[in-house]
Amino acid sequence: MKLVDKFTLWFIGIVILVTPVSMYISYYNIKEKIYEAEVIRLKEINDKIANQLRAGKIPRHSIFDFPAGIVKLKKLPKDNVAVNEYKFYNEQLKRNECRLDVNSFYTINGTNYKISSYNYVTKGEQIVAGMLKAVFWKMLLIILFVAISARLVSRYILLPFKQSLKTIQDFSLKQKEKIDLPHTTTAEFKELNCFLKKMADKATDDYARVKEFSENASHEVQTPLAVIQSKLELLAETCIGENQAALISDMQNAIEKLAKINRSLLLLTKLENQEYETSENIRFCKITREVLSSFELRLQLKNISVNTDIDKNVYLQIHPVLAEILLNNLLSNAIRYNIEDGLIEVTLSRKMLMIKNTGLPPEVPVEQLFRRFKKSNQCADSIGLGLAIVKQICIVNGLSVSYQYADGFHVLEVDFPEERVSQDTEPDFEPVNFKGTPALG
Amino acid sequence: MKILVVEDNRELAGSMFDFLSQEGYICEMAFGLGEAKNKLLLFSYDCILLDIMLPDGNGLDLLQFIKAENIYTCILIISAKEALDDKVRGLESGADDYITKPFHLSELHARLRAIYRRKKMNGSNVISFNEIGLNPDTLEARVNNKLLDITRKEFELLLYFLVNKNRILSRQAIAAHLWGDYTDNLANLDFVYQHVKNLRKKISAAGGIDYIDTVYGLGYKFKSD
Repeated sequence: MKLVDKFTLWFIGIVILVTPVSMYISYYNIKEKIYEAEVIRLKEINDKIANQLRAGKIPRHSIFDFPAGIVKLKKLPKDNVAVNEYKFYNEQLKRNECRLDVNSFYTINGTNYKISSYNYVTKGEQIVAGMLKAVFWKMLLIILFVAISARLVSRYILLPFKQSLKTIQDFSLKQKEKIDLPHTTTAEFKELNCFLKKMADKATDDYARVKEFSENASHEVQTPLAVIQSKLELLAETCIGENQAALISDMQNAIEKLAKINRSLLLLTKLENQEYETSENIRFCKITREVLSSFELRLQLKNISVNTDIDKNVYLQIHPVLAEILLNNLLSNAIRYNIEDGLIEVTLSRKMLMIKNTGLPPEVPVEQLFRRFKKSNQCADSIGLGLAIVKQICIVNGLSVSYQYADGFHVLEVDFPEERVSQDTEPDFEPVNFKGTPALG
Repeated sequence: MKILVVEDNRELAGSMFDFLSQEGYICEMAFGLGEAKNKLLLFSYDCILLDIMLPDGNGLDLLQFIKAENIYTCILIISAKEALDDKVRGLESGADDYITKPFHLSELHARLRAIYRRKKMNGSNVISFNEIGLNPDTLEARVNNKLLDITRKEFELLLYFLVNKNRILSRQAIAAHLWGDYTDNLANLDFVYQHVKNLRKKISAAGGIDYIDTVYGLGYKFKSD
């Protein structure tokens, strides 16, 4: 529910609640005033009759067309004036009537008199009926105006909020300039903007620091690694025996693995930092075929047959380096976890890429396969980051990847969202040749 | 060939110095940006091995300096920074190639030869050794002037051997050279064996001498003597 709707509903609710109370108060006040005025007028008449009596004139039984009665009393009551409200049913008019009697008491020339006059006044029900009609129109007008004006005014008042929201939505940690939030005079929005700005600045700072750290860490680790590797290479050239050679070989293996893990983790960090954003469309089908052909020898060695169904002109919005890593990791997995004389099926369309391969059932729960350092069939020749990287590549490029094992087949499917695939035939994209690009897994 | 190694890590610079000196190159070291600039102003070098992160500045600044001073040389960037924009920036500012740490010295050598060939030899580009001749432009390999029917990978492998004659090439180094640092697949090492086997077979079939030796536990060596 929109904020403006909430405010409107609350306001209307309050109006509905308050109206009966205010109606009662007005009704009471109006009635009071009417009676008061009437009583004053009737008292005045009584006084006038009393004055006439005092002057010795015989008063008429009505003055100013108000009927009046004069009665002699033996004894005066305590109060000078008594007011009676008298309700009855008028048979002729067939309605309830309300009459106000005012009795005034005087002592004139030693005689006690009660002078009374009366008049018909507006009944309570009539007042209520009139008020109800007014209230109906009043409420209708209030609701209508509140509903309409709230919408118009909120658009104006909430404008800075909407602008802030848009700025934050467009905010990317990668952008170098600080975020610029619109000026507002509303205290709450000022507070919000202040908070947003602080958060964004902190996030940018943290991001820069983390990036700096990971880069520094990589530098600090890779240089000693390079030292060890080069020294081992030089050592291998010296006059050594078989035992030393075996030791050096083991060390070289370990360093190789260490270097790969380091690079893979760095790649994951970079993917998480979205450093490989691209707006270019590449010919995914072409890369698929190229990567597939680079695996030819390995397929031959395991005697694996490959069935391909690769559509032409599949353009995908993805960084060429990432496309290559993705396919490399998927295909090398399909080969590594395959059986001798196995089968691989590669299907590529504008909707998805599917790689199906024969193999032993997975030993770890399927959902763990995409986690880091989780390996099915604990393959010794893998560092266990391949699928984690595949998943991260898919996440940053808005692709979805799923795995299942069915009928002796491992099936990995990467679905392409429509907005990432383009169908027009652009000139062939020539990827920049980064020789030795650490496209690893 | 005269080479300047710009690298602040003395051990690594020492390794490169030793290796390249053994190959018969004249090699000098600079441990910082200022030192490198001084050396470049005084002497001329065929190749520069350039580290990006230096204690007194960014290696990329040296590229600007080389451009501004009109120094004609080949530049190979050596860096631990794998940031893509760094790589692109380096190549755009005039570097010829980019290699990331850690690397194999034989790989460094192969890259160095490749950019030197490209830049200094101006095309006449056939690398020959006794009866073997390789043309990197056409990817043609000849033994006794007979064209060998070899795959691209086998060609790259033979070229790698020829550049690093009499060096032990570990299987890791060969795998990294042939497949880059692709995938987390360490099983590539077995494919190295297959490739070497096929290559030896093909050279022998064409009447060539089998120069490639297996060095127990370590890898292979192309023997020129």
